This record gives sequence, C-alpha cells and structure tokens, in this order.
Amino acid sequence: MEVDLSKITLRPFKLEDADDFLLFAGDDQVTNYLRWQTLNSKQEALDHIKDVCIPHPWRRSICIDNCSIGFISIFPFSGEEHRFKANIGYGVAVKYWGHGIATKALKMAVPQFFADFPDVVRLEAFIDAQNLGSQRVVEKTGFQKEGMLRKYAYMKGKLRDMFIYSFLSTDLPANP
Amino acid sequence: MEATSVVQLDQTKAKDECLNLSLRPLQVSDVDDFMVWASDEKVTRFCTWEPYTNKEDGLNYIKNTVVPHPWFRAICVDDRPVGAISVSANSGNDKCRGELGYVLASKYWGKGIVTRAVKMVVDTIFVEWPHLERLEALVDVENVGSQRVLEKAGFQREGVLRKYFILKGRSRDMVMFSLLSTDYQS
Repeated sequence: MEVDLSKITLRPFKLEDADDFLLFAGDDQVTNYLRWQTLNSKQEALDHIKDVCIPHPWRRSICIDNCSIGFISIFPFSGEEHRFKANIGYGVAVKYWGHGIATKALKMAVPQFFADFPDVVRLEAFIDAQNLGSQRVVEKTGFQKEGMLRKYAYMKGKLRDMFIYSFLSTDLPANP
Repeated sequence: MEATSVVQLDQTKAKDECLNLSLRPLQVSDVDDFMVWASDEKVTRFCTWEPYTNKEDGLNYIKNTVVPHPWFRAICVDDRPVGAISVSANSGNDKCRGELGYVLASKYWGKGIVTRAVKMVVDTIFVEWPHLERLEALVDVENVGSQRVLEKAGFQREGVLRKYFILKGRSRDMVMFSLLSTDYQS
C-alpha cells in the first residue's frame, strides 16, 4: 500500500467517525500501550467520541482523505503549578503502520498545540521501554529522550519501565 | 603541622557521625523549632514556598499539612527537630511510586545528616508500604548538595527533565533520581 503523506490531515473527532474509530480503538495492538481499554462495539465508540474525544482539551483525528485512521491526544495538566506542562499520546490503525504516518501527524500536531496553548512550555511523552516503534516516532518528531524511569507506573496491571521524552516550546524551529 | 590538622578533621568527622539522629512525627508543639528552618531563605531557596514569617502560618502548616500527611517525620538531633523528611503517596496506576522530599536547618548542613536520614527512611518505607516499588526524588540542577545526598544514599540518577518545574515563577530543569525496592534488597 502506498501512502501519500501529504494527504494526512488533523481535525477534531465527529460522531460519524465511530466505525473508523472502532477499527483502531477496538484493536488490542493499538491500545496495548495506552491507558484505555480496547473498545468492543460501535456504541462504545460513539460513547467514547461523545464523552472523551469531543470535550477533550486537544484531541485530533489523524485522517487520510478525511477518514479517521488514528488519534493524537495532548492533555495539559491542571492546577497552577502544572498547567505549563502537557502529556501527549497517540495511536494509528495497524493497517497503516510503517509508513511514517504517526511521525507526520505528530510533526503537524506539536506546533499547532503550542500555538493553541501558549502557556505550555513542556510537552512530555512517556513511552514504554519495550515500545520501540513509538520511541522512534517521537525521536523523529524531535522529542528529546531524557532518561528511563524504572518501574514508573502500572499499565494494564503490569509494572513498567518508561522512557520520558520532552519537546519544549523553545525547541520549535524559529519562524522564518 | 599537617599531621595535627588531619587529626582535627577526623575528630570533627567522628563528632558529626556521633550525632544522635532520630526520626519522629512533627507536632504542633514543635512549631518554634520548625520556624528556625522554615523562616530561613537559604533553606527555602529550592523550595516552592517562601520563608515563613509568622508562627500562625507555621502552626497552620503543621496542623493542615504535616499531621494528615501520609508519611512525614521530623529529623531530630538529640530529639530536637532540625529538619523534616517526607514521602508522598500516589493512587491507582501510580501507587507503586512515592516521592521523597527533605529540608534541614542550615546550621546543620555539611554533616551528613540528611544522607543518614534518607538511609533511615529507605530502611523502613518499603516495609511500611509493601506496595511501594519506586522511591523517587526530583532535585534542581543547581542544587548540587542535594544531588550528592541522594547519590551517597544509593539512588540512581535517571536523567535531567527540562523545564519540569516552575519554582518561584521560573522554569527549572530537574534531575530525577530513584531507588527501587529491588535496589534496596540487593
């Protein structure tokens, strides 16, 4: 399958995306390193879009020809002391892995997010030590690996080592 | 001449190591001792809070933050509080992790007191909290003294987290250290 990366776009989710959403959110391979449970039905997909995607401070559908094939989620922390930081997560349908889509989408999302949230100075990603594919994606996007946090948190019942990466607003290339 | 000064240095070091150190809960009745370090701007330099200026605030801090805290101890020399050390708790998927913090009156700096106090905490916390897998500490990149404490206490330096924290209005790079329950057992 050839993928024309210039056809990748980002937009907010709509209820109409439910079937496409289920294709990736219903797949254990995609949700393996995510906090969410794999979805099981179109109704769950509709509920998730309505209750989580749409009210979310910054969640975008990764689209090819306006069809949802994945998501990027950036969550600013709350509270006076933490709102200058945000956490990024993403997923792409397995059928589309291996084409550089996630990297392309992240490269589009990061500057958009910093423009939408000018108070945020630090965007961080926690990537499972075994999730080599995702480590490569964030590295190609320009995130800096800061270290490995040993036994940092439980993920789906197992204690995990995680790499912590960051992209600072000051890491963005200066405007020409 | 040299022999004499070496003997003097050893005697000072020996005296420091003989300091009668203990950990116990901090109480409202300790407020005057608390104010000694809490009002000192050398001590609060890397703390999120400004030096305390009145005893009322000190009492409120002890009543509202210290007493209900999951794990907070006064560091005592001869049973008088000269500082404090604490471990925060997390819930849910983060329950495996606790964060260590400490503070010491400046008059007592340079004697290895905090290193000893950290070792005392490490000796007990994994037993008191069997669900704890990871004890971590975040230290300002400029706070070299505190970094040395953790290194001497056996913590591993995991990396520098850029602009991780906002301290008194400025973003700061922080060094992440951790000690795992499995590090401690071995």
